Amino acid sequence: MVSFSSEELKENLGTRFEMNAAIVEDLWKAYRIPHKKKESILENIASFLDMFESRRLDYEDFWAVKGVSLRIRKGESLGIMGVNGSGKSTLLKLIAGTIRPTRGKIDVRGKIAPILELGLGFHPELTVRDNVKIYASIMGLKNREIKNRMESILKFAELERFGDAKLKNLSSGMQMRLGFAVAIESNPDLFVIDEALAVGDIGFQTKCLDKFRDFQRNGCSIVLVSQSPAMISDFCHSALIMSRGEVVASGDARSISTKYITLTSPA
Amino acid sequence: MNLTLRDFKLRYRNSVLGFFWSLLNPLLMMVIFSIVFSFLFREGVSDYPVFVLPPILLWRFFSVSTMYSLDTITGNYQLVTKIYFPRWLLVLSSGLANLLGSSLEFVACFPLLIIFGMKLNYSLLSVPLIIIEMFILILGLSLALSSLNLFYRDFRQIWEIALQAGFYFSPIFYSPSIIPSNISFEYSLNPLTQAVESIRDAMYYGVFPSVENFAFVLLAGGVALLIGVFFFRRAERKFGDAV
Repeated sequence: MVSFSSEELKENLGTRFEMNAAIVEDLWKAYRIPHKKKESILENIASFLDMFESRRLDYEDFWAVKGVSLRIRKGESLGIMGVNGSGKSTLLKLIAGTIRPTRGKIDVRGKIAPILELGLGFHPELTVRDNVKIYASIMGLKNREIKNRMESILKFAELERFGDAKLKNLSSGMQMRLGFAVAIESNPDLFVIDEALAVGDIGFQTKCLDKFRDFQRNGCSIVLVSQSPAMISDFCHSALIMSRGEVVASGDARSISTKYITLTSPA
Repeated sequence: MNLTLRDFKLRYRNSVLGFFWSLLNPLLMMVIFSIVFSFLFREGVSDYPVFVLPPILLWRFFSVSTMYSLDTITGNYQLVTKIYFPRWLLVLSSGLANLLGSSLEFVACFPLLIIFGMKLNYSLLSVPLIIIEMFILILGLSLALSSLNLFYRDFRQIWEIALQAGFYFSPIFYSPSIIPSNISFEYSLNPLTQAVESIRDAMYYGVFPSVENFAFVLLAGGVALLIGVFFFRRAERKFGDAV
């Protein structure tokens, strides 16, 4: 008979849990496409009466993500490719938790830093410093840590001179740089990046990728959506291709990105 | 906490002048009501400014907070669509910012009220308690309102009308004794009526508010909070899609 001390048991469980940074099981997401847009109470009443008369539904379901399952191991970087509208961004939003799935399960362990679309929920009327404070405190940093890291965040974003400028006065590239800087300084376990790097200049891109390599070495996982097969094969361990909401191919990053090039090149 | 400070800063645009403007509104209302009711109608209420200003401040706390709450989710769409965190924090921080603003308004009006004849009584100690129980009521309503406004963008208009009606249906600029006795029970079901009576007891009559008044507002706040949490939790699943 084998017996475990509680210490050993905990350790075993610990390593099992640590192996996966995120597990996604059979994920589905439907959006309703209304035939008529209704955002007010009056419109809702009107369309309800309408529906009653014509006896048909006034919306269609659009499935943006259809039964996606994936597993991201700790320290693994996963690249996601696919043409526009294939469900990549929806998948990332689901992983980041900003929208909820219609069906399926998502399990993310640890702190997640999403860089969805451009910028990170920054407020245009507030200064750069105030925005950093808010975002960092949402990311779970304490006020003292924020204070300590403020300068290094501004330095990484190359915005030292603009600390007290209102965010709306920054260019979109500057805002993106700031977003990356805060996300990087918040020490997440999982980065979720949606094509955001494309805006930065080459110098900044290289700087970020270097930083991400550091993170990879330290066991941080990354999910990267990109239209650049070169970046994916260069940077990620594994990759997958999405089409119409489904995963149509997955495997190691190099072969998948080659496949993506042949798939999308005009015949 | 940082969210609260942000809301507070945005509300007053980082300026002392901003707070001054927010103070000017209740003071002007006090002047207008004082002119209309003590000079034109000769209501026969002594120290009318002291009679009317505390209820106006309390009413403003209620109306401004709930109006702002309508925008807490829709107005923060940049945050809501980009990162996950408990959404009720947005409602709470907006409420706290208003609590801070209204408390400052009370403090700033304090010397003025004394000039107008308010007596320093122990009953004034109950004022913070009344503000806090109002805060609970406001929080409950805010949770419901913020989620409703997300799905029905014209809810603002409805709430505006409701507030306007509420202002006249609560004894803010008149004494509840003018209400005919056959409807006085229905009239007293309005929690704002009871809260206004409490604050007037504490600041005008110089007596501690009655336990019934206080308990009723607290009860209404508890019910509002339950309903608000229920609404909010149901709606929260769809926030990311609807914003």
